[in-house]
Amino acid sequence: MTTTDTVVFDRVTKKYGDVRAVDGVTLTLRPGETVALLGPNGAGKSTTLDLLLGLKRPDSGSVTVLGTGPREAIVAGRVGAMLQSGGLMGEVTVAELVRLACGLHPRPYPVPEVLARAGLTAIADRRADKLSGGQAQRVRFALATAGDSDLIVLDEPTTGMDVTARRAFWATMRDQADRGRTVLFATHYLEEADAIADRVLVLHRGRLLADGTAAEIKASTGMRRIAFDLPEGTLDEAALRRLPAVTAVTVSPGGTVRMRSSDADATVHALYGLGVYPRNIEVAGLGLEQAFVALTETEEAVAA
Amino acid sequence: MSGLIRLEVLRVLRNRKSVFFSVIYPGVLFLLIAGSADSGTTLGDTGLTLPAYMMVSMASFGALTAVLMGNSERIAKERENGWVRQLRLTPLPGRGYVLAKTAGAAVAALPAIVLVFVVAAVVKDVRLDAWQWLALTGAIWAGSFVFAALGVAIGYAATGDAVRPITMIVYFGLSLLGGLWMPTTTFPGWLQDLAVWLPTHAYAALGRAIEQHHAPGVRDVTVLLVFFVLFTGGAAWLYRKDTLKA
Repeated sequence: MTTTDTVVFDRVTKKYGDVRAVDGVTLTLRPGETVALLGPNGAGKSTTLDLLLGLKRPDSGSVTVLGTGPREAIVAGRVGAMLQSGGLMGEVTVAELVRLACGLHPRPYPVPEVLARAGLTAIADRRADKLSGGQAQRVRFALATAGDSDLIVLDEPTTGMDVTARRAFWATMRDQADRGRTVLFATHYLEEADAIADRVLVLHRGRLLADGTAAEIKASTGMRRIAFDLPEGTLDEAALRRLPAVTAVTVSPGGTVRMRSSDADATVHALYGLGVYPRNIEVAGLGLEQAFVALTETEEAVAA
Repeated sequence: MSGLIRLEVLRVLRNRKSVFFSVIYPGVLFLLIAGSADSGTTLGDTGLTLPAYMMVSMASFGALTAVLMGNSERIAKERENGWVRQLRLTPLPGRGYVLAKTAGAAVAALPAIVLVFVVAAVVKDVRLDAWQWLALTGAIWAGSFVFAALGVAIGYAATGDAVRPITMIVYFGLSLLGGLWMPTTTFPGWLQDLAVWLPTHAYAALGRAIEQHHAPGVRDVTVLLVFFVLFTGGAAWLYRKDTLKA
């Protein structure tokens, strides 16, 4: 471990009764990384973020943020965080709330800049407790980015945002990462993780299942998609299922076959050996979503 | 930190309900109770007229309302909706939230006290020396911090639907039994003996001593100090328990 690491989890475990919400997680986040935290509901994403932010304490193991404890890092203004459903103050306006956040930060950005970046300029005079879900989400984002922090933590940041707002949001986050900030976000939008993160962490039942680039995770399952068309009359689904390394076969009414294979080369070779003439053949890696499903399913199968 | 205090004060002043109940209501209640009272005769062995006596009671009651009612409910509500959690993710030091809440309540308490004094002086001709007015304002205001701490403690102890009834019971119980609404001399003997140990009774006695040109009673000051330590200790303990589970 070096002092430049932004976040270090060392064999962190957090239990609720008998349930291990986070189970022996070890990971390191470095400056400038944009990291997505993926996992089905109940995988331990929120607990992981709570541990990272010092809102919960681990039962065992240690959490280090920017060389200190999480709480110290937050009080020093080195962490900006946005939770999924934090309430906002009543009886105050959006601008007043943002001014408060800027005032609390040791290295604040100018209030108009923070408002503009979060797309709040037009609603700056509205009451903070009378906003739509997406607007409130943008206010929480403004609170998280009121000053110059080294680490930005976002829990499901784009929930409730429309496509335009979502795009603008990620452009801002990219800009932050380019300036050397570490950005960690939990999401269930896999396209977002695929498009934005340079590193993806897959959490399942409190354990870290995969840690790498989106491309590495897609490849790590070793699975490939094979698709082709077969002329009518030559299609024998049972024969296709018997091809080597095939794990799944679906046939659409138009005669298009989609298969999943753990060894695409062997499958395609054997396919030609059947004496058929497949057209428009395509072999591709799994999408992140399919890789994610494959990963968690394998884990379920092992557990069962 | 000062930003949060400023905002908490603004919120209190913007909330019409809280302005009415904690600023205007005690003055109105004073008029209802003392309005038709004779300003000439004194009350029992106190040497004070009814308006002078009730002025201290109602100023104390107003300060109590401002610091107790607002805080407990707001803190409980903000713990529940996640605002407290949100604040824990800013560089605000841990105690900042409680301090700002207390300051906000204290600022609301001051106009309540002054309004009762103004009504008493203008409508019921209550006359005191300049130093007495100042000392009364200071003593009643300082004493309100005891109950501000109680408000914080209730806010951290109770949640959701329970906080309002609990606050109401404590508030009415303390006001009535402490003799803020009527002199405790009208109570049965055993209740009078009990009442003198209540913080609200000691609180009003503090102000009355100033009106009577007395030094504050040792027992009253002690009772207030003990409750202050008790309430702040309780608030601090409950606060720490709450932040651990956040």
